[in-house]
Amino acid sequence: MKTIVEAKQIKKVYGAKGNVFSALEDIDLTVMEGEFVGIMGPSGAGKSTLLNILATIDEPTAGDIVVDGINLTKMNEEQLSAFRRDKLGFLFQDYNLLDTLTVKENIILPLALAKLNVEELERRADEVADKFGIRDILNKYPYQISGGQKQRTAASRAIISKPNLILADEPTGALDSKSATDLLESLKDLNEQDKATILMVTHDAYAASYCNRVLFIKDGKIFTELVKGKRSRKEFFNKVLDVLSALGGGANDVI
Amino acid sequence: MTLFSLARKNIKGNFNNYFVYFVTLVFSMVIYYTFTTLQYSEKIQESIELSDTMSFMFGVSSIILILFVAIFILYSNSFFTRKRKKEVGLYAILGLRKKTIAKMLFYENLIMGIIAIVIGIILGTLLSKLFAMILIKLMGSIAEVDFGISILAITQTVIVFMVIILFTSVQGYRLIYRFTLIELFYDEKKGEQIPKVSLITAVIGVIFLVVSYWLILKPFPDEFTTEYLIKNYGIAFVALVIGTHLFFRSVTVYLLRLSQKNKSRYYRGTRIIETSRLLFRIRGNARTFTVIALLSAATICFLGATYSGYYSNEKRAKEVVPFSYSHLSKGPEFDSQVESIIKADHRHPIKAQLDIPVIQVKGILSFQLDYDINPVKLISESTFNKVANALNKDETVSLSGNQAAVIQPRFTEYTKSVFKGENITIQLPQGSSELPFVHMVESNVLPFDYPDFFLVVSNEMFAEIAKKEAPLTYKVYEVENEVTAQATSKKVNKLVGNDFQVSSSFYTEYKQGKEGNAITLFIFGFLGLVFLAATGSIIYFKQLTEANEAKGHYEILRKIGVNKKDIRKSIKRQSLFVFGLPLTIGILHSCVALYFTSNFISNLIGINLIFPILMAIVFFVIIYAVYYVLTVNTYNRIVNK
Repeated sequence: MKTIVEAKQIKKVYGAKGNVFSALEDIDLTVMEGEFVGIMGPSGAGKSTLLNILATIDEPTAGDIVVDGINLTKMNEEQLSAFRRDKLGFLFQDYNLLDTLTVKENIILPLALAKLNVEELERRADEVADKFGIRDILNKYPYQISGGQKQRTAASRAIISKPNLILADEPTGALDSKSATDLLESLKDLNEQDKATILMVTHDAYAASYCNRVLFIKDGKIFTELVKGKRSRKEFFNKVLDVLSALGGGANDVI
Repeated sequence: MTLFSLARKNIKGNFNNYFVYFVTLVFSMVIYYTFTTLQYSEKIQESIELSDTMSFMFGVSSIILILFVAIFILYSNSFFTRKRKKEVGLYAILGLRKKTIAKMLFYENLIMGIIAIVIGIILGTLLSKLFAMILIKLMGSIAEVDFGISILAITQTVIVFMVIILFTSVQGYRLIYRFTLIELFYDEKKGEQIPKVSLITAVIGVIFLVVSYWLILKPFPDEFTTEYLIKNYGIAFVALVIGTHLFFRSVTVYLLRLSQKNKSRYYRGTRIIETSRLLFRIRGNARTFTVIALLSAATICFLGATYSGYYSNEKRAKEVVPFSYSHLSKGPEFDSQVESIIKADHRHPIKAQLDIPVIQVKGILSFQLDYDINPVKLISESTFNKVANALNKDETVSLSGNQAAVIQPRFTEYTKSVFKGENITIQLPQGSSELPFVHMVESNVLPFDYPDFFLVVSNEMFAEIAKKEAPLTYKVYEVENEVTAQATSKKVNKLVGNDFQVSSSFYTEYKQGKEGNAITLFIFGFLGLVFLAATGSIIYFKQLTEANEAKGHYEILRKIGVNKKDIRKSIKRQSLFVFGLPLTIGILHSCVALYFTSNFISNLIGINLIFPILMAIVFFVIIYAVYYVLTVNTYNRIVNK
């Protein structure tokens, strides 16, 4: 199996001399192809910082990151942009859809930017729209659809370019439980059937229980790791809750 | 805490939010105040009283200016209010009574308006002086425009702006009553609706434009009254404004929709982003496009008129006085005296020096012409050709036997066909002789002297007549850079005296024309600059606010993997559309308007104004391009850090 993410000794320090705050301290992280990894932790633990660094939106203060064999720390702005477009798919809590584009246009945007030909583009748009069940809203605008539909649109956009790695930042954060479950089921299908590699930051234990493996971060360090293995989702959910209560801090805001 | 002090604190606390709005207010005020100061200055009052066209131009300009100022302020006010809806909603939730909030908003706007008026007038007083000085310097002229502090101008500015500010204050007062609480809170989330293509509005818009063009271009009536001016061109102006607006509202939508149809183009690169953004913003943009198109048209018109005046003065002077110096020969001693004065001026070396023999005879035309031709002035074919050569004109004549060519009398519009097939009988001591007209030429030889009827005859014929009737000899000089030959011209004029109805030196004629035109040029130039500044700043402000709104949009794009270079390219393309479309329409409008004015001017002085108008358009496009670059850079800096 191929290694998709290999992060070593990542450090992130904010602030200037005298008043430094270190958000991440020597984090090591390895994600293999086809894994569905969750990252959990209380507010301010550094989850989103880690994700942003992996997403190349933010730069680490120190450390090395290799994604799909490419060293991120050695790339310039233009190369990073191309890298994001070709290798990564994003899913954000606030969807990040462009409200001037229709659902379909939003989905195909990464392909249009990569200048793929129209037939291929239409074919793939139909394919992902079917996967997420949003075929009949393709010609609507984001302000005309619900939050769940928006997030499924965002998910379609994230996978349309067949990225090596999908990064999700609290994707269920703004959704009701029904929409959240639908989205998580879709992500699980994607992971199991299409062998998509997914890295998801969440503080929702229910969302985390869909992962194969969950990393817990506290105060910028890895606290522990939980592997689902042969357990059922329900059992795994309870395990996650146990760790969270041991973690303390923000644990009471998880349920 | 009183309501008044709460309002005051609000302004102090949110100064950044208020700043753009405040700058807009002050800026409009300065422009308007400078204009009214100009209007009320003594010199200009005089010229307004003297000339109908001038008072018409001033009337129209001040309407356009008020309109522009009002739209500008209302637009930025509505933008400003939109930003604050949430804050207002918060007050309501915290339990402030509607009436209290309304009053607070009213006071806020009023305080700001009054401060803006005070600052505007102070700045206006300073800047108008500066403005006047720059303009006078630019025109190298003599127009003494007094830009003193004018009570009338202050009163008028204060009245106009108080009306506008009271109106916006009342709008603020009504804000809380116009919307429900939920609308105030969720305003920013409500997406703008995508506009529908409406063929009907497009057609109506085009009809309005056609009607307006027709009214502007239709020939002048015999009687030219103020009432006609106001009725005809007033309606034309209103139709132009409405037509332009409808045009932008529907035709742009149609164009963008069309470009979306071509999928393989539309779904390629960042085009999908630009097209959809423009389409969404079209409703807000249609109004701006209209204002910009009209302002550009006005700017080009004013610049065109200014430059035409400049240009036509030199042309006219050159026509009236073809050579730098001309005088009647009065014996060798006198002639050499004149020559030595001219030769002594080393900064204006002589390019050509000619003797022009002229024979004056009596003549009778074979047809009726409403021009007094006697005495007819005869010159020889070779003299004419030498003159044409000396003045760098490619007109030559070659005649034989009895043939004659007429030089078009100045300030008339006789064409070749008037003289074709006709002849003139001239009376000579040896009997009369009939000369058929074979040509009409346009190069003039000597300074204007009524009656201005010159005939060119063949060399043999001229020699023949000269035997009996001794010719008068005129001496003419053409020097380099004659427009600056002030000192020498003065000396020559003094020595030569009045050989012609006009001055005998080109410079004097040129200078007099320039002084006569100075006020007119000054006003046109001023209005041109004002509208130029206005056009540029509207687009600049507009794009700036849009850029701030679009920050999130571009951040998403960056996350998806669009690099900075592509974002910059995308901004460029989008701005090109925003700048190019109204510019095109503006140029079209101005061409129509300038066609009308140039007809007006050409009729008076008989000069083709295509060149100066073209120059004015080119000048405007260059300045506009500078604004484009500036806007793209600022936009880019805001969204693409």
